Amino acid sequence: MQMSKLYQAKHELWLSILFASFAINDKQIKRDLYNFSTIEFRHMKWVGGDVLKSGDDYNYDRTKTLKKSETVFEVLNHLLVELKETALLYSDNVLDTRMKTDENYIISYITALLEEKKNDAEVTAFNMKRTYADKELPKEQIDALTMFLFEESYKEYELILVYAYMQARTENITHFNVFQDLIDESHFHLQSFGEMMAKMGILALPRELHELTYKVKDIQKFVVDGIAEEEAAKEMCRSLSGAIEDDGLKRFFDFVNYQESYHIELMKRLL
Amino acid sequence: MFENVKMPEGMNPEVLEHLMAPKNYGKLDDANGIGVAVDEKTGEYVIFYINTDGDIIKDVRYATNGCQDTVVVGSMFSEMVKNQNIDYGKKAISKMELKLGGLTPKQRICTDMVLEAFVASLINREHLLRGEKEEVHIIKMKESCEVESE
Repeated sequence: MQMSKLYQAKHELWLSILFASFAINDKQIKRDLYNFSTIEFRHMKWVGGDVLKSGDDYNYDRTKTLKKSETVFEVLNHLLVELKETALLYSDNVLDTRMKTDENYIISYITALLEEKKNDAEVTAFNMKRTYADKELPKEQIDALTMFLFEESYKEYELILVYAYMQARTENITHFNVFQDLIDESHFHLQSFGEMMAKMGILALPRELHELTYKVKDIQKFVVDGIAEEEAAKEMCRSLSGAIEDDGLKRFFDFVNYQESYHIELMKRLL
Repeated sequence: MFENVKMPEGMNPEVLEHLMAPKNYGKLDDANGIGVAVDEKTGEYVIFYINTDGDIIKDVRYATNGCQDTVVVGSMFSEMVKNQNIDYGKKAISKMELKLGGLTPKQRICTDMVLEAFVASLINREHLLRGEKEEVHIIKMKESCEVESE
């Protein structure tokens, strides 16, 4: 089994569990799946470290798509299949054994959910209704919000993976810590935007990253471009906050806007 | 021949579909033409892959780190040229360019980047057919999509 193939499977499994957590409305299941997805992200990081140590390399290619399920049980059954497929890729080393035991627990958790009919419910994350919860927003505001969510959910996913790629290859402690902070912040943003997309019925996986995006040759230029992108994201948050007639959403976009400001400060430490 | 070609004007269900699941997105391992259009000012790029059999564009892929307008245009344009001949592909460029009038300056530049990447892939294919060694043909964009913020 090629370790880079295992890396791809872990990457896809992380996304599947993460997006299942966005898709399901039940708060407890959502929380549990989100927590499992963070474990999967760490698995992916550990596998990536081992790939690099072995002198090989990995990429961010994916083949799996997000199934537009209509019920919670459909979502959970898809996850079970993917977890069981991934289990076939493990060998007997310490890391694989750890990942296997983690996933055996997740499988038992999902199996228990599937035994209780009351856990099944409609999934509205893919119905394309484009209404934001119970709020009545004009069409142009819904359009602006839709575009923002697609734009920014991709950007957060891109940032997580690009920073993780660079973090795995740096020996500079300051850079390592800055990358970790930025990854953590982007996880939170991706979660926030993913939840909003699910509420609007437009949940979709971010598109794949091409290697031209994450194989950074000039870190200085990357950081300067990244700061310009953060500025653009701040501007989008500011204009959405100004345009959307809803106090809760306004507060949220102001909150994200100020977080982007500090990202710029963090990024400057990479220069 | 282009009756059903629509540009992204507002958020209609078709545009939403392209946003949620862009068509022909990714890499093409057996490409015989690879082109990149890059905006050096912002670092944004579009990479376009083609696989041709004679004059027929049998398969296409594209990828970008650009905005969602670029993604939607790439998805629509790649569907237009897939399984068509190269001549059709070149005409499709003109057709798309004719429709640029209704777009914002930023959308127009995003669209140009997709079309230029396709042109670059055709140039790369020609170079390879002539026996030249060129991994990828790169076209640097004259205009930057920072245009609106300036």
